[in-house]
Amino acid sequence: MTAPALDVRGIGHAFGGLTVLTNVSFEVPAGRIVGLIGPNGSGKSTLFNILNGFLVPQSGSVMMAGNDTRAMSVEARSRVGMVRTFQTPRVFEHLSVQDNIMVGACKLTRSGALSNMLSLPRARRDLALMREVAEAVIERFGLQRLREVPAAKLTSGQRRMLELARAYAGKPQLLLLDEPSSGLNTAEVEALGKWLQTFNDEGMTLLLVSHDMQLMNIASVVNVLYFGEIIASGPMAEMQRNPRVREVYLGM
Amino acid sequence: MRRPWLIVLVVVWALLPWVLGRHHVDLLVFAAIYTIAGLGVGLLLGHCGIVTLAQSVFYAMGAYASAIITVNLKLPASLGFVVGMIASGVIALALGWPVLRLTGFFLAVATLALAMIANALFFEWDWLTGGTVGIGAIPKLGLFGFVLDTPLTFYYFAWVVAAIAMLLVHNLVAGRTGLAMRGMRDSLDAARVLAIDVHGLRVTIFVVCAVLGGVSGSLFAHYTGYVSVASFTIDKAILFLLIPVLGGAASIPGVVVGALFITFVPELLSKLGDFHGIVFGLALIVVVIAAPHGIVGTIRQWRKRALDESTATPGEANK
Repeated sequence: MTAPALDVRGIGHAFGGLTVLTNVSFEVPAGRIVGLIGPNGSGKSTLFNILNGFLVPQSGSVMMAGNDTRAMSVEARSRVGMVRTFQTPRVFEHLSVQDNIMVGACKLTRSGALSNMLSLPRARRDLALMREVAEAVIERFGLQRLREVPAAKLTSGQRRMLELARAYAGKPQLLLLDEPSSGLNTAEVEALGKWLQTFNDEGMTLLLVSHDMQLMNIASVVNVLYFGEIIASGPMAEMQRNPRVREVYLGM
Repeated sequence: MRRPWLIVLVVVWALLPWVLGRHHVDLLVFAAIYTIAGLGVGLLLGHCGIVTLAQSVFYAMGAYASAIITVNLKLPASLGFVVGMIASGVIALALGWPVLRLTGFFLAVATLALAMIANALFFEWDWLTGGTVGIGAIPKLGLFGFVLDTPLTFYYFAWVVAAIAMLLVHNLVAGRTGLAMRGMRDSLDAARVLAIDVHGLRVTIFVVCAVLGGVSGSLFAHYTGYVSVASFTIDKAILFLLIPVLGGAASIPGVVVGALFITFVPELLSKLGDFHGIVFGLALIVVVIAAPHGIVGTIRQWRKRALDESTATPGEANK
């Protein structure tokens, strides 16, 4: 059996005296869509920052495809296939849609400052490849009309789409999505769900943090985080019937 | 030829010193020297969002390296350039690695501190730098048997070096590294998530900036024939920062315009007598307010807006 894409074991974290995560463990099996839900303040964002390396957990470990991530920087995790999006999309404001996506494709290439400066064949090949990848992504996401538009001028829905397209350009194996549907209308959420499903069909593993029950239906397993602990996990339909989850989260 | 204006520019450039007086050619030489240093500062400011006030340090290192190699050690001038570039790069790496962990204002202040410390060291280490007395009688550069001993000859040489620097910087910003730099400038976190080694990239560009500063300093030493600590004060650091700010930080022509501005405008204003310093200060304020993206950057924006308006109005419905 292959190692899970992510194996989160006993994560604990506190900011000063405030304990945010006590003992969080769950798995994201390779090739699956896994959900993480929880009310505001349950520690989702902190957990996300720990998973992708922005924060170092005070206890516990995160294994990525069987490797301990302890010594791995954000960049190193990304290089081996982990990319995340942000709750508020962080697009490159002054860059065009096309350039944003090209930056996302940077990780597919290696040429450094010196070969770029001398415009060596290697550097030119890399740029051509990035442009090619970006073009395919633009087409796939239907962003042709926005190609030259600076990201600063996009609507919030378009920003989400761009952030997703940019992440997709780097061909991640594991995509962490932080509230990808917030600020989207129902039709857009439905479209997003379809996108994510297609990514998954192509073999991408997804970890999805969301409040959106509609979107959460695409997850095969949902983990419920409540005050720093996973209190339940299972298929969404089961979670919706679980009395404890209903009480703390669904408010019923 | 794809760019006919480039030919016009080269012709104007070639003929210009024959039309202008010796004094103005001298200013144009300084504009070339400052362009090279300013290109580095513009790379950091315009493409990485880093304010550096430390360019005077590397300018000084290039100048001292050339002076010491040719005067004290009696070695060839080309070696001075090489040593100046290597020394600037190595020191930039050693300083940049820790300092570039900082961001924003803290980083700007840290680079200012570096410039101040370096200036104090250049003063104190007079056994090496000559302190306030400086190092004189730096030999003129020779090239293929010609001696570059007039502003006219040096003009051609310095601008060719500047053009090479512009080409290298152009390639850098047009390629993969440039995209990564601008991404990192707009969002450090998003860039990291996309596997861009932001610290490594910031240090690399700091080193590139320093090496350009070193070349610029070596040219200065050979042109004036004399270097002293007075040439490497905080004023110079600010001057180098002004170049991309005035001209347009993310634009190579902008850096040239900025360098021309800081060499020619004070000179033109000096006719006003005692007030020229104040008027120059006011001129800076006016430019910064009227052209917040630098002179070239702002002109480009106007042109783009005009272009958008002319194409957007009639055709919109057909799209």
